[in-house]
Amino acid sequence: MEKMKVIAEWTYTPAPIERGYTRKTLYVNVGEPRMEIKDVSQDMIDTFTGGRGFDLKLLWDAVKDTTKWNDPENEIVLSGGPLCGITQYPGAGKCYAAFISPLSGQTYDSNSGGYWGPLSKFSGFDAVEVQGKAEKDIILFINGDEGKIQILESNLKDLNAYAVTETLHEYFAVDEADKRNISVISTGKAAETSYYGCMNMSFYDPRRKVARLKQAGRGGGGSIMRDKKIAAMVVKFSKIGGNLNNVVDLDTLQRVGVKLHKEIHDLDDVQCKMRKVGTAHLNEIMDEYHLLPTNNYKFGQNAAEISKIHSAVYERLFTQGMPDGCWYGCSMSCAKAVDGFTVQTGPCKGEKVTVDGPEYETVAALGSNIGVYDPLWTIEANFYADHYGMDTISLGTAIAFVCECYELGLITKKDTNGLELNFGSKDDIMELIHRMADGKDEFASMVAKGIRYMKKAFAEKFKADAKTMEAIGMEGQGVETSEYVPKESIAQWGGYYLTLKGPQHDEAWLIFMDMVNKQLPTFEDKAEALHYFPNFRTWFSLVGLCKLPWNDVEPANNRIVNEPKEAAKVPEHVQNYVDIFNAVTGKGIRKEDLITMSEKVYNFQRVFQVRMKQGEANHNIPLRALGPVFPDEWEARREYYDGKLREIGIDPSALSTEEKIKKLQEYRLGMWEGLKMAVYKRRGWNKKGIPTVETLKRLGIDYPDVVAVVEKYSKPEDNFD
Amino acid sequence: MITVNGEPLDWKPGMTVQDVLDAKRYTFRMIGIWINDRPVPKNEFSTTEVPDGAVVQAIHMVSGG
Amino acid sequence: MRLFLPFCILNLAVETSRFVQTDQGGIILRWLKTYVEKCINCGKCMETCSKTYFKEENPSLSRVVVTNPGAGQNISVCNQCGACMAVCPTEALYRDKNGVVQLDKSKCTSCLMCVGFCPTGNMLYAASKQTEPFKCVACGLCAKVCPTQALVLVND
Ligand code: SF4
Ligand code: SF4
Ligand code: SF4
Repeated sequence: MEKMKVIAEWTYTPAPIERGYTRKTLYVNVGEPRMEIKDVSQDMIDTFTGGRGFDLKLLWDAVKDTTKWNDPENEIVLSGGPLCGITQYPGAGKCYAAFISPLSGQTYDSNSGGYWGPLSKFSGFDAVEVQGKAEKDIILFINGDEGKIQILESNLKDLNAYAVTETLHEYFAVDEADKRNISVISTGKAAETSYYGCMNMSFYDPRRKVARLKQAGRGGGGSIMRDKKIAAMVVKFSKIGGNLNNVVDLDTLQRVGVKLHKEIHDLDDVQCKMRKVGTAHLNEIMDEYHLLPTNNYKFGQNAAEISKIHSAVYERLFTQGMPDGCWYGCSMSCAKAVDGFTVQTGPCKGEKVTVDGPEYETVAALGSNIGVYDPLWTIEANFYADHYGMDTISLGTAIAFVCECYELGLITKKDTNGLELNFGSKDDIMELIHRMADGKDEFASMVAKGIRYMKKAFAEKFKADAKTMEAIGMEGQGVETSEYVPKESIAQWGGYYLTLKGPQHDEAWLIFMDMVNKQLPTFEDKAEALHYFPNFRTWFSLVGLCKLPWNDVEPANNRIVNEPKEAAKVPEHVQNYVDIFNAVTGKGIRKEDLITMSEKVYNFQRVFQVRMKQGEANHNIPLRALGPVFPDEWEARREYYDGKLREIGIDPSALSTEEKIKKLQEYRLGMWEGLKMAVYKRRGWNKKGIPTVETLKRLGIDYPDVVAVVEKYSKPEDNFD
Repeated sequence: MITVNGEPLDWKPGMTVQDVLDAKRYTFRMIGIWINDRPVPKNEFSTTEVPDGAVVQAIHMVSGG
Repeated sequence: MRLFLPFCILNLAVETSRFVQTDQGGIILRWLKTYVEKCINCGKCMETCSKTYFKEENPSLSRVVVTNPGAGQNISVCNQCGACMAVCPTEALYRDKNGVVQLDKSKCTSCLMCVGFCPTGNMLYAASKQTEPFKCVACGLCAKVCPTQALVLVND
């Protein structure tokens, strides 16, 4: 590629890393352009820890109460956290991104593997803030080797992810061996129209000799990149070593890391098989337990078709025996890939490519949930979603909604501009995906903006019935639901819809605990779980870790030495986290402190949502998430659902199916309200879900501007007595 | 009669842990079994008999995605 | 662009096999064979090994590990199987022309996955000395000092 023109350039001296922190953050305004290196205060470390905590703190200071996702002051903030970049413990290369989301109008945080997190820290920065809007397409380049920041005028011909990533690994590397010292954040053409544009973060795979893409998929970060006219962000750092974080106790770090490597080596094959199939090991399990979303979450099972997407099928498609960690040292190695895949449609037709994934979520989203049981089609859809820069989960759930609207006659072939979008209409759905990237087709652009947008647009433009769409559109807070059927687990209603940012699965996954194990019988039990797990899982995002090695493998004696409820927390692994955190930072935290560290950021983020939503940061749940909406859903599990009515003292025998559905809905809506109040109370919030001033004080986040938001929107009558 | 995760299940003489899992269609790989609060190691599922009246907990371990 | 290299898997299979094809076409594998029944637990091998590579007589830094935990004499050392090579993310582990698995420190990230995945527990580490792991390089110095030929360097 020809040399790119330098629009702006600054030099700096990379700060040394001490105990996991550089204590500097980088601010770049791509519009003005301007660069600034900010200090990280001790208070910022004590309160926000790092990663997503730093992201949110910097974002809070950068935006106004009225900032919209496409205002220039919105930022993409990226940070790994103090443990990010250690190589000894599996899953320590995560990068967390935060921004005001186009889908929800409030903060969203999303994480990704790939090398961006570690390399940007090694280049001297605990976090990178990107603000402003460029006039022409630019590339932001952080050169940690030379201490140089550049804004370059992009001369990329193809803005789609695989092309951008490969070209830039090539462009910035001096030779083949140098390619692994680079990480590229890219998105794609669809992110220019979509609200769920994803960010792809790369790492170079020296065996396959291709750049691999991992996604900070959710929430629309890629859409913001394109709104800012950022074609890519690139970081380069070459002197990778075993202790760049300058940890205080390498000995412990090595010992604990090796212990987990051994555990994974010994047990993964008989436990989750992450090394062989990644998260796709869940496909048939979810089906068996009625949790695999099928036809827009109408059903949780498809006995006739499941064998086609069984994990064994994917195991054969994934190349086996490769080290597939998304950062050095991840022996969980779940970043599976399909090699030598021949693309069948679209602009890359006929090319042989390496496709990253699909993971379980994608298998369901761009598979069972849209009525498709064809792994090769799903792999192709996965390839194009990444390439065009779209989140596979929002994409799949949005298309599932479209298919149901189409089958119900709410929208017609005329509205879709000629596409027949029944469940399982593979060819037309693929065409729809291509049209989203093309950006010219009005209908495709509507789908690309997500369910909340479509509900309004379909009603206005196509006179589609708003009430039906409300019931079946699987979004919460504007964000599409990820791929588990939550209907039969009350706790999971909360796990999805009482979250900070919408129904993703990274806060709490309580379905087995609640629905199968029956370990959470009361509202209080559920509320406790909806306090503990979201906060525990938040901790990963503060320090730069991946969640999977926590509970996708467990010590052989986990279930022997721990009683059932404790066993679910995998106590030995929790202790590992305490040990490695102390080994890196030299702090002396205990396991209880993990929750408090998280609670600070969790509650701060909740106040942030209240601020951005002017007091109306509401938790909504679609009826489809609570139970059957149409008779065929009820009839598919008639005995089960009739039993559910009997459990609550209603005799189903005299009722029509419609009446039964109505009764169950009424009951469950009541349960939802009960759950919501129990959870708000346990979290130290008021009845509107606003953290109380006492909660802020207890957690030491009673900064004047935070208290001001709480006071502005809290009313005395909303307090719990 | 035994109970499995709080729900009744017919008991048969000689019934093993594995039989209980099959009856409940619990196919998940990471299940922990406790019989009357005593854990049963995974490699003993098909040899351990469940006594009549037992309270069985079949705990699915993954906390998910 | 993004062309798949169909041979990478094949390469991997060759790499992990116990035998290497040399340029001459013959197959050789240099490794340290052990005869535990001859071992008298004198510790000479470990002294020599740690002294040679870490300038210190310290059995915990030796690549050949001789123990006698009461239950009987035991010698543990790398057999050059290559399992560690397969898990190394940066290809820092490679087989040299003698078939010995070697570590290229300049490529190593010190992740220690090779330690966790060595089937015989013979990839070692010591934070006080270096971040990277270390292993037997089949130099044979220990065999030279062993008074009973309990260790023998072989090429087969
Ligand atoms: S478990 Fe998977 S996603 Fe997590 S760090 Fe390892 S390879 Fe990456
Ligand atoms: S260190 Fe272990 S895995 Fe590597 S060659 Fe030696 S015995 Fe095999
Ligand atoms: S410690 Fe070094 S040699 Fe061992 S697997 Fe990691 S990078 Fe490879």
